[in-house]
Amino acid sequence: MIHAQARLRVVSALSMLREADRVAFPRLQEILRMTAGNLSVHLRKLEDAGYVEVTKTHRGRTPATLVRLTRRGRLAFEDYTAALRALLDPQEES
Amino acid sequence: MTPLDDDVPLVDPAESLRLIERQRAEAERILTPDPRLFLWPWGVAWLVGFTIYFLRFGPDNRVFVDMPSWVPLLVLMGLIIAAGITTGVYGARTGRHVSGPSSEQGLMYGITWTVAFAGTSIVLGQVSELLPDDKLNLLWAGVMVALTGALHMVGGAMYRDRYLFALGAWVSLINIVGVIAGTGWHSLILAIGGGGGMLVAGALAWGRLRK
Repeated sequence: MIHAQARLRVVSALSMLREADRVAFPRLQEILRMTAGNLSVHLRKLEDAGYVEVTKTHRGRTPATLVRLTRRGRLAFEDYTAALRALLDPQEES
Repeated sequence: MTPLDDDVPLVDPAESLRLIERQRAEAERILTPDPRLFLWPWGVAWLVGFTIYFLRFGPDNRVFVDMPSWVPLLVLMGLIIAAGITTGVYGARTGRHVSGPSSEQGLMYGITWTVAFAGTSIVLGQVSELLPDDKLNLLWAGVMVALTGALHMVGGAMYRDRYLFALGAWVSLINIVGVIAGTGWHSLILAIGGGGGMLVAGALAWGRLRK
């Protein structure tokens, strides 16, 4: 799921949030420099996999979309980076 | 788990790790508030405000620049209120981008500053008429700066930011030295060490973030 470059970037950016913190959609877009449509597609795929949680809410009268990395998503990201490091430096793993 | 879209899977693990690090750094850069906007308004307020205090109420009742005795307080309070509004508005604006425990924590920390200063001002206001002018200035400035130092240290503990903690400890230390040295010296030490210290701390924190 996250070996695709764009989704890896999404998950990497979200991994900087503290657990249970949610980032506003436009801010995430700014970090990733993706179009809204493009980001939505990737978020939907990550959501289907249970890696991110997308919440729609209201701030006063304006609708806001908030995104956070789920525990499952965080674990997947950590496993993935650990696997990459192990590939680069096999001795360190054992 | 197979990518169905046109997205390119990465093959080189080193390249993937670099991509992850770049993206995390970019996220940190955008999500972390600019430390200059939190520290520089206060640095300027202290540097200018306490310098004017020193010039009007120097050591041993010396007057370096003759001006009405209410001018230094007016300037210092004006600059401090301006700094409070700047950092308050900026803090509230950055807090809107991330919601959850972090923004709650930031809001509570902001409220703590306001409550601490309001409460202390009311207490000191009650006893102010009992003291001669020079002791009064020292009391107000000494207590307010002690509070500032302590709140920065708390912020350092909360955000696990050693630099903010060190800034708080430094401000607390020079405040004690200044209070013991007496009226006049206290203002000078706070202007240079405190105001200057915050300007330097803001620049260092910004430099670390930009790396």
